[in-house]
Amino acid sequence: MDSTDRIERRARVRYEATRVRRALIGFAPVLLVVAIAGLVAKRPSATVAFGIAMFSVGVVLLWYGRDLKRAVLPGVVAGLVPLVLVLCANQVDHVCLGDNCMMVCIPACTVGGIVAGLAVASVGVRHRSGPSFWFAVSAVALLTGAMGCASVGYAGIAGLALGFGAGLVPGLVRQFLADRPA
Amino acid sequence: MDTNQDATLDALVARLADGDRSAFTPVFQILWPPILRLCMSMLKHEADAADAAQQAMEKIFARASDYDRARPAMPWALAIAAWECRTIARKRHRRREASKDTAADPSFDGAEDELVQRDLTRAALEALGQLSESDRETLVATFWDEAASVSGATLRKRRERALDRLRGAFRRLYGLD
Repeated sequence: MDSTDRIERRARVRYEATRVRRALIGFAPVLLVVAIAGLVAKRPSATVAFGIAMFSVGVVLLWYGRDLKRAVLPGVVAGLVPLVLVLCANQVDHVCLGDNCMMVCIPACTVGGIVAGLAVASVGVRHRSGPSFWFAVSAVALLTGAMGCASVGYAGIAGLALGFGAGLVPGLVRQFLADRPA
Repeated sequence: MDTNQDATLDALVARLADGDRSAFTPVFQILWPPILRLCMSMLKHEADAADAAQQAMEKIFARASDYDRARPAMPWALAIAAWECRTIARKRHRRREASKDTAADPSFDGAEDELVQRDLTRAALEALGQLSESDRETLVATFWDEAASVSGATLRKRRERALDRLRGAFRRLYGLD
């Protein structure tokens, strides 16, 4: 029946609109983290750009729901490790030469990335999650961490990504071995 | 509706709350006939019932993400539909009062108005019953404007908290703000 289809369409629009609103409201506190990081970081524009990207990805994941929704919180928490580490390292009195700050900041990005990768992997293995969860949680964690590492430059982001990948490997191997048929 | 279908609906609405869009159409198809029937039986007017059922469906799906898995889905959905019917009945009654033409339509009379009023009172009392003794006392004292044994600021704060909890209980029971 036409009118029933129309009612169903309208109900579907309301359902999606409510989910978008809930996702925006639910993830809004993260904007406070972005604002604080923007205030503390040496390159606020890059930090805020990554923050906006992280917020957008988080809202989309929360709106979509299911497994992806469950990736948001662990992703943000894991990403806070490199973010806080790098923002603290920025405040340490040392010499940073342009985009290459090999002494404190890049190691902080890499170590933060490793810790974040290990944390994400432990959550993924514990929940025996599928690839979509792994991608979503990694994206959120990397974008959160990149808010801090962006102030070090491309080298910082590369250090974060490498560290994160290295931290993720043991968990992925464990998951692969557990899923392999006996 | 049998127990099996109830369980199916509960599971489908829970999936919808989690974001599984494939549950949307089945939930709609299960809910639409009983909700339309309920609206027809409450409003006894085809156009008003169709309006109420449509608005109820929109509200049900708007609130689907808040669905509490511990509660059965059908009574939850019917409570929302019943609320829409009451709202439409109240509007209709006000319209009639404004036009002073209440006697012309046999489908709506004082008895129906009384029924709506009684339903609302019962709903409010049920929500009030969910509160603690002290919250109830605070709200009753507010209603009767009784002087309490506490200072004005403290009473105001207690009243605000009690009203918040009453709203919460109402929302839990009927899924409504």
